[in-house]
Amino acid sequence: MSDVPFRNPGWAGNTGEFDLSEADVRGTAYAGERPLDGGHPSTSASYPFMLVARNPGAPLFEGPYQERFEKIRGRYPTARAALLPALNLAQEVRGHVSPETMDEVAALLGLSSAYVRGVATFYTMYNKRPVGRFLIQVCTNISCNLCGADEVLAAFLKHTDTELGDTSADGNFTVVEAECLAACGFPTCVQINERYFEDVAAGDVPDILRRLTDELKGD
Amino acid sequence: MAYPYRHDKEVRVLSEGFGDPAARTVEGWKRYGGYQGIARALEIGRDATIDEVKNSGLRGRGGAGFPTGLKWSFMPKDSGRPHYMLCNADESEPGTFKDREIIRWTPHQLIEGCLVGSYAIGASHCYIYLRGEFFETTNVLARALEEAYEKGLVGRDIMGSGVDIDMTLHVGAGAYICGEETGLMNSLEGRRGEPRIKPPFPAAVGAFGMPSTINNVETLAATPHIVRHGAEWYRQWGTEKSPGTKLFCVSGHVNRPGNYELPLGFPMMELIEDVCGGMRDGKALKAVIPGGSSVPIMSADDCRSCTLCYEGVEAAGSLLGCASVIVMDENTDIVKQVRRMAYFYAHESCGQCTPCREGTAWATRILRRIEDGLGTEDDLDTLIEISEQMTGTTICVLSDSLAMPIISSIEKFREDYLALIRRGERVGAA
Repeated sequence: MSDVPFRNPGWAGNTGEFDLSEADVRGTAYAGERPLDGGHPSTSASYPFMLVARNPGAPLFEGPYQERFEKIRGRYPTARAALLPALNLAQEVRGHVSPETMDEVAALLGLSSAYVRGVATFYTMYNKRPVGRFLIQVCTNISCNLCGADEVLAAFLKHTDTELGDTSADGNFTVVEAECLAACGFPTCVQINERYFEDVAAGDVPDILRRLTDELKGD
Repeated sequence: MAYPYRHDKEVRVLSEGFGDPAARTVEGWKRYGGYQGIARALEIGRDATIDEVKNSGLRGRGGAGFPTGLKWSFMPKDSGRPHYMLCNADESEPGTFKDREIIRWTPHQLIEGCLVGSYAIGASHCYIYLRGEFFETTNVLARALEEAYEKGLVGRDIMGSGVDIDMTLHVGAGAYICGEETGLMNSLEGRRGEPRIKPPFPAAVGAFGMPSTINNVETLAATPHIVRHGAEWYRQWGTEKSPGTKLFCVSGHVNRPGNYELPLGFPMMELIEDVCGGMRDGKALKAVIPGGSSVPIMSADDCRSCTLCYEGVEAAGSLLGCASVIVMDENTDIVKQVRRMAYFYAHESCGQCTPCREGTAWATRILRRIEDGLGTEDDLDTLIEISEQMTGTTICVLSDSLAMPIISSIEKFREDYLALIRRGERVGAA
């Protein structure tokens, strides 16, 4: 793991001595595996919804997902308010939110299809078309840009052999430009599915891609 | 447990638990004095809690700097309707990365802050609106909230006081404008995140049409400390008009970028040269954006005598905003960076108001043209004209946020623009 850039202690930059592991910084050891049914209702809307394994043809909200959907519904005074979490949930199951998916969500919440499309297209995190197993979002906003984000983005495009917004031939990687990811002290910040990689330089890109490919093999 | 990096000029109120994974648990957080603030609030009652925060002079940390206690006091008493507390954790202002640190290292600090705020305004439900990109951060907060529910700190009859406060995490889906308070409310209600016209103000008609108060993560996180130790204790730091400590997010061309908690009124040059270890590679300072991308750019000269408090930065011709200090060295291409900001605002404009929708898009195109060497000197006048029409003419301040960096950069770095224009003319002539 040491060859993969996770130098950022998540605190005051990549200097000084620190003895925190990646799990310490990410908080994964504390947060643990979150259950599919969402756990406690108060947090049921907060599951990571960019999984590697996903199925565009999966039925919407069955089994534990149905439970989670019910929990989410119970947290708001109106059905409409559950729309964003419900779309998040749909994307977690299917990987992207197609017009058909939007219609299904609309029916579940008693909203019109047109309304749901209007809302879904407002937000950038709903993938309106399928993306690769790993969605690589490179921040190129000002703080990262000052520290070479353009080169990092170019390196990702070169090493995955794709154009901006397209998916690589093996279906593994989609590279997009992102707006500020709120990790400006640790440029360049790259979000890959639900993980942040910070302090990424163009030279680190092959290592990161290798790590991701290895993770796929491990599954 | 060695901290990654510590500076002895820092004052650790909010950031005390940063870097300590144990501070994420209820037990660990109690070792830092956690949940004593809400205990004291429950003891002294609602009005006294609001007074304590009012007397502390705490100002909103989300950018506008509105006095928090005053905001809370706007909430109606005994309206007979549900009240909502909203926590704005949709941190997306370029240059800002403080809320994420607060949540992922000390999630209970935020939960306790939300409890104090909810109790003070009489809200029985608090929604924490997190930006969608914060998966890891959200997971930490989710675990912490579950733990707080398990231990009876949140939910029905909190800490045996008879007060019910529910809390729900609501995850957004990637829209900068949802960080605007009424945009956030629309987004929470399942609508497009378009800001609403004010009045009515949220204290009268907010989320779900009910009286609501919305506060930034850092603001809420500071309130338990204030209630626990008292307003006078908090006023030992900072200035008369800007009391307390603030997390400064420093990014850009410095040796040690990061979050530093300093008393307000701290000199800017000391922050850059001492706390952040000086400019990277010993380069000279060219410009600073002191409060996230939405404020006027400052030249190196403006920075010399500037102190980092609301009134100090204003005197230097800019705004403290959320104290996100973006530092640029002598090699920085200002036009490129302003163009990148303009692109951001054009992308994030919700499109409701014409001056913003058209203005941000056209400003981006003109800036791109200048950057490519195809601009003329008239373009600078056009940019200023567009920017002036974008100021104060829209529902929210997103378009003002772009107008300020454009106008200030042309004023202060006109030579940079002219150099690109002249270079283009020479190429054209050849």
